[in-house]
Amino acid sequence: MNNNLAPTYQRLFGSYWVLWYKTSNSYSIVDDNFKHLLYDYLECASFDAFKSIVARIDSSLDADTIAKNLQSYLEQCNAEHGSDELLSTDFIVSKRKISKQYIFKDKAFQVNFDSDLVKKTIHPSIAHLETENNVSPSVIFDIYIESDQLCLFKNEVLVRIVPKQNYHFIQGKFAMELLSFIHDNEESDWLGTFHGSTISDGENSILFVGASGKGKSTLCALLTAKGFELVADDVSPMLAADSHIYHNPSAISIKKGAFSLLRPLVNGFDELPDMVFNKTKGVIKYLPCKTPNKDHYPCRAIIMVNYTKDSDTTLELRSIKEALETLIPESWLSPDPLHAKSFLDWLSKTPVYQLTYSDTESVTEEITKCFNRFKNH
Amino acid sequence: MKKDNNTDKITRKDAIKKMGKYAALTAVGTFVILNPLKAQASSLPPDPGGNPLI
Repeated sequence: MNNNLAPTYQRLFGSYWVLWYKTSNSYSIVDDNFKHLLYDYLECASFDAFKSIVARIDSSLDADTIAKNLQSYLEQCNAEHGSDELLSTDFIVSKRKISKQYIFKDKAFQVNFDSDLVKKTIHPSIAHLETENNVSPSVIFDIYIESDQLCLFKNEVLVRIVPKQNYHFIQGKFAMELLSFIHDNEESDWLGTFHGSTISDGENSILFVGASGKGKSTLCALLTAKGFELVADDVSPMLAADSHIYHNPSAISIKKGAFSLLRPLVNGFDELPDMVFNKTKGVIKYLPCKTPNKDHYPCRAIIMVNYTKDSDTTLELRSIKEALETLIPESWLSPDPLHAKSFLDWLSKTPVYQLTYSDTESVTEEITKCFNRFKNH
Repeated sequence: MKKDNNTDKITRKDAIKKMGKYAALTAVGTFVILNPLKAQASSLPPDPGGNPLI
């Protein structure tokens, strides 16, 4: 019954099943009872067959309601969510008012902006890559506003156009283009870009996730000051081929609330320029970090960050449900079934922890211990 | 795939276990559905009060 609505993949994680639906690229987390009930329903040839199974167990059960609920669940899981409307627009060369050239390793690129305001959406996080030397860029990006639409072009070909208030999609798309360029990949090679920051000890990496304000970037900045490598801040890209997290050269964005904590730990902290981006984020400093020794690292753990004033430092194992509830709604995950399978494979061998902390010394020790568990994996 | 007739051989223990399963359906929070973003985005959400581009 309704086999076309059945999940494409099912995977058990402790006491939860994670079901993946190809039509919608949705991940559903259910308990064992629910999963078996769902499969009883899917495997019945007809509603009458399901009804008779239910009646045999207990004639007082309302098979109609149960079937209706399961059907409604399956429809929700398979509902396709509208993708972005694709608009087209011609490239306008006269929008090139400000030009910046950047270099990362041997890769040179140029970004043109139509105004200081638009420049502010992209430039501060990559300002440390800017070069004054005359380089011949292999790729040229143009970002400008036309008729209230923010447009991103690559080599004069439109990549993305969004209403200007949705500029965070242009930032995300630009990050994806930049990552593909510096790592010699196509967008279709990436499994996803996780909303989280990644730190490495030179051998393995750990992905830190958590809602805005939970202290991910602050923690990563302080761990970097203590000798760890920053692999990626905010956008952590995972390649499908090896499920490794790749280096994202964007600087760490630090909010004002963390300035006093980081000032004594980061050399020249006060010399970093203050940026006022919007009222929500307030004053931000962009902290560039040393390029890690390797371009990519296997990711051995997911840590949910929970900065709590005056708390003791604790690192506790948590369920896959909590991790996915935090990670998935704010991440882009490729809808390719092979990539979804790789994502589930990676999750199945990756422990999830919650880190509660307030003290910088003890949190560094705790993370060091955590990395040591994965040594010579 | 259709289930075969092994449901006829259900034991009392299985029946009680199954009851739990059906009861679970009426409970709140037995499932969650999570949808990833359709496109790459940075973590700076649109802010009606302070969007720098408006």
